Amino acid sequence: MTAMKKIVSEIQDFHIFLRILIVLVTAGLIAAIARFTFGLGATTNLSDVYPWGLWVSFDVVTAVPLAAGAFVLGAIVHCFHIKKLEPLVRPAIVTGFLGYSLVCLGLLLDLGQPHRGWHIFAYPNLHSPMFEVALCVMSYTTVALLEFLAPVFEKFGFHLPLRFLRTLELPLIVLGAAIATLHQSTIGTFFLIAVDKLHNLWYNPILPLLFWISAVFTGMCIIIIEAVMVHRYLDQPDETELLATLARIIPWFLGIYLVLKVYALFFLSERPLFDRPGLTALFTIEMVAGIIIPLIMFLHKRIRKDSTMQLRAAGLVVMFGLVLNRFNVSMFGMIQKNQQIYYPSAIETIVTIGIIAAHILFFAVVARYFPIFEHHPEDVDYAIPDGFRRVKKPLTIGKPS
Amino acid sequence: MSVKRNFSNDRTFLIDTTRCTGCRSCQVACKQWNQMKAEETTFFQGEGYQNPAHLSENTLTAVKFIDGWRYGRNEFAFYKEMCMHCNEPACVSVCPVSAFIKTPEGPVIYDAKRCIGCRFCMIACPFGIPKYQWSKGLPLVVKCSGCFSRVKEGLIPACAKACPTAITYGSRQEMINEANRRITAHPGKYMSRIYGLEEAGGTSVLYLSSVPFNELGFKKVTQRPLPSLTWAALRFVPTAFITMGGSLAFISWLTNRKERLRREKEMGEDQKASGKEDGQ
Ligand code: SF4
Ligand code: SF4
Repeated sequence: MTAMKKIVSEIQDFHIFLRILIVLVTAGLIAAIARFTFGLGATTNLSDVYPWGLWVSFDVVTAVPLAAGAFVLGAIVHCFHIKKLEPLVRPAIVTGFLGYSLVCLGLLLDLGQPHRGWHIFAYPNLHSPMFEVALCVMSYTTVALLEFLAPVFEKFGFHLPLRFLRTLELPLIVLGAAIATLHQSTIGTFFLIAVDKLHNLWYNPILPLLFWISAVFTGMCIIIIEAVMVHRYLDQPDETELLATLARIIPWFLGIYLVLKVYALFFLSERPLFDRPGLTALFTIEMVAGIIIPLIMFLHKRIRKDSTMQLRAAGLVVMFGLVLNRFNVSMFGMIQKNQQIYYPSAIETIVTIGIIAAHILFFAVVARYFPIFEHHPEDVDYAIPDGFRRVKKPLTIGKPS
Repeated sequence: MSVKRNFSNDRTFLIDTTRCTGCRSCQVACKQWNQMKAEETTFFQGEGYQNPAHLSENTLTAVKFIDGWRYGRNEFAFYKEMCMHCNEPACVSVCPVSAFIKTPEGPVIYDAKRCIGCRFCMIACPFGIPKYQWSKGLPLVVKCSGCFSRVKEGLIPACAKACPTAITYGSRQEMINEANRRITAHPGKYMSRIYGLEEAGGTSVLYLSSVPFNELGFKKVTQRPLPSLTWAALRFVPTAFITMGGSLAFISWLTNRKERLRREKEMGEDQKASGKEDGQ
């Protein structure tokens, strides 16, 4: 009982925003229960014309790149040793872990026979992009969980497993980055089979590569957004300086993406390209607002160093360069001429909002109770220990003095 | 991909739409053989007397009607829509749990016990054939099986059996020869094209028509086998994994080594310094 009371009083302590999130998550849960009770057909607006709807477009195709920060930052910091950025790794890993867990949940919700999920292992089909993504998402979630356990163990002072994890840290990060590369791009491969369905503006043979690159820059932008938000609303330290370093890397990827995209459009795509005004408009918004404008913004030193501007540029990339792009590919671009229009049902929408809310809520809660942001490289020795027992420096626990 | 199989002996439907009378015997035979539920339908949902308007979880094949004033005359034309039993089926290649199988006899069949319900097959099929049981709590995919259970026993599919005029059934090569024979014998009557010969890399359902295929509602489909499109990217997966993992591991090893050397040097200098102090 006392535990219950404690929880309640903790929650009363939360910012009003967090309490709203709790309500949204609960609503999402109820909607999810309704989906399992009444079945897909009754609760969604999916049909034979739209076998994939909001849940695939957002909860899977869009959510996976949104959680890409973990692998990108892990690689930057630990493999390339840009150690300055170390304090951002943990928040990124937490985001990644939460994101992927929720992707798994979204996938299960969308399956018609969720209880048969294990068939993936029983009857694997190596030619199926879906098989590959399912396998990768599961293994990546495991990797992210292991990475995520570090702050948890620190919090509770479990030294031995913590040492063990530290030995594994670098291999895990390398493994994670390799797995992420595979599934981030293979989600693009999904749509290569939809030839004659996906509009030429988006259908091209290098779609998987484009998906991977956009996942990389989105991962970094999400970290910027997160860090700025958390600084503003959760009283965490201001990381603007570090973010500026990160923001210097982003335009490279935006630039490469833009070049490849233009190249694909002119040399690798079928014609006609601009025959559907609606799609042309969506495409233009995606490219101008999501790629070109932020590219120009990130190229300016002054803008890179300004917290608000960082947030705006990163926000543009995420909203238009990524979210709109993924919806264009997985939904809008697939609509044929004169086809009825799909819009998500109330339950589909509530579930998706619930999933987004759950992500933000869990992140805030984790940030509140676990050493996510207090973790600075000066305190920890990051060289690979030569042997399991020979960790020389003491491990930091909790806030450094 | 594995060596290309020879498809010329696959069991194949030749559907001559000019001989089709729109009697819908095939539709009825299909329902009966597969024991599918009846659908409540009304006329004029689709074009003319077409009924039901489209394939669904209860209808595996349906006759599409073109019925009305075309080419300055009153035109009737019919198109029996069904699974094309592609030579290299997209549905087989995308299904994560291998629920679809291209049988050596030709028909592409679906194993309902495996399906996890991801509906990728519906996205992938260029002809829009797999349908989903939206009315069920735990829905499955439904699709024409080419009457594999009959074909295995040496019978011909129920629809082909029931059809009084238009469907011929036999090996793919024979059917192609027969179709070509008809086209050359009656050049004025037929479009000089066999739909299904090249579509999606070739199918085991071939159509002849007297009106342009797109007007009958046939989809314009690429001639490349669809699985090759995804495979073009998927085959790089092991390479990508090893390159990415390998290069990152190598880079980390390099940077770590540099770091350690630097530290050792520092430590060495420290020791020297302290040693000096001791000596004094
Ligand atoms: S027509 Fe569609 S369902 Fe039938 S075999 Fe070809 S891809 Fe599969
Ligand atoms: S819905 Fe079933 S049959 Fe279709 S691809 Fe998914 S698992 Fe395979």
